[in-house]
Amino acid sequence: MKRQTKLTAQEQEQLAALNAPQTSTREFATAEELLRHDAGRTEVPPVIAERLLKSIQNLPHPAPTWWQRWLKR
Amino acid sequence: MELLVRDTGVEKRSQLGLEPAEFAELYQTHSRPVYYLALRYLGDPQKAEDVTHDVFLKVYRKLNEFRGESSWRTWLYRITLNHCHNVRQSWHSRNLITNADEAVWENAAARADSPLRALETKELGQRIQKALDGLAEEHRLLLLLVADEELSYAEIATLTEQSADAVRGKLHRARKAFAVLFQQSA
Repeated sequence: MKRQTKLTAQEQEQLAALNAPQTSTREFATAEELLRHDAGRTEVPPVIAERLLKSIQNLPHPAPTWWQRWLKR
Repeated sequence: MELLVRDTGVEKRSQLGLEPAEFAELYQTHSRPVYYLALRYLGDPQKAEDVTHDVFLKVYRKLNEFRGESSWRTWLYRITLNHCHNVRQSWHSRNLITNADEAVWENAAARADSPLRALETKELGQRIQKALDGLAEEHRLLLLLVADEELSYAEIATLTEQSADAVRGKLHRARKAFAVLFQQSA
């Protein structure tokens, strides 16, 4: 029995779909639904926390309040 | 943000009425919405990064001024919007840009009513930004605020200094304009 080597058009389409990058179409009823989805997949860059920590470390110490000065007498 | 909790320099500042763990939790909970609002409102990741940093630094320094009259989210957004407006003002003073969406949707109302279909790709964020950039500034802001489910219409109205009815009316136009611009960006 001769084995079939050529793919049918349907098989070729299926193969192409398998090899294509995995993307899916999503439907959003409203703009805010789409934005909510976008916000959910947006990561906050870790560098912000690092910068914030440095900035906080560099803050001057708060001036003592009048009652702190009074207690030190 | 765990570093903030452990850092001894931060602990010294608790005399301001601030507990480091509370601040870290505040950052964990709200940094994403603050960053996202700044990112999509300004359309510039670097500026959004700067704004988010500045907002939380200001919050850290002024935490004792929070009176609990509004939610944390509303208070943070108010500071974020002030920062964003300052950034935009300084930028606009150097670059004259007009982007009005008034005519965009009126001629394309049918398309604006259909659902938004989008492929889950890296480019989705770029498409969203492009559509938002085409909106009038007020419409862009209203859409971004209403997308946050933690905010009520009343809170959005307060943040944008108008009535809740005005917010609803403008949102209707903003949604339509966005839908058209988003479809055009495909």
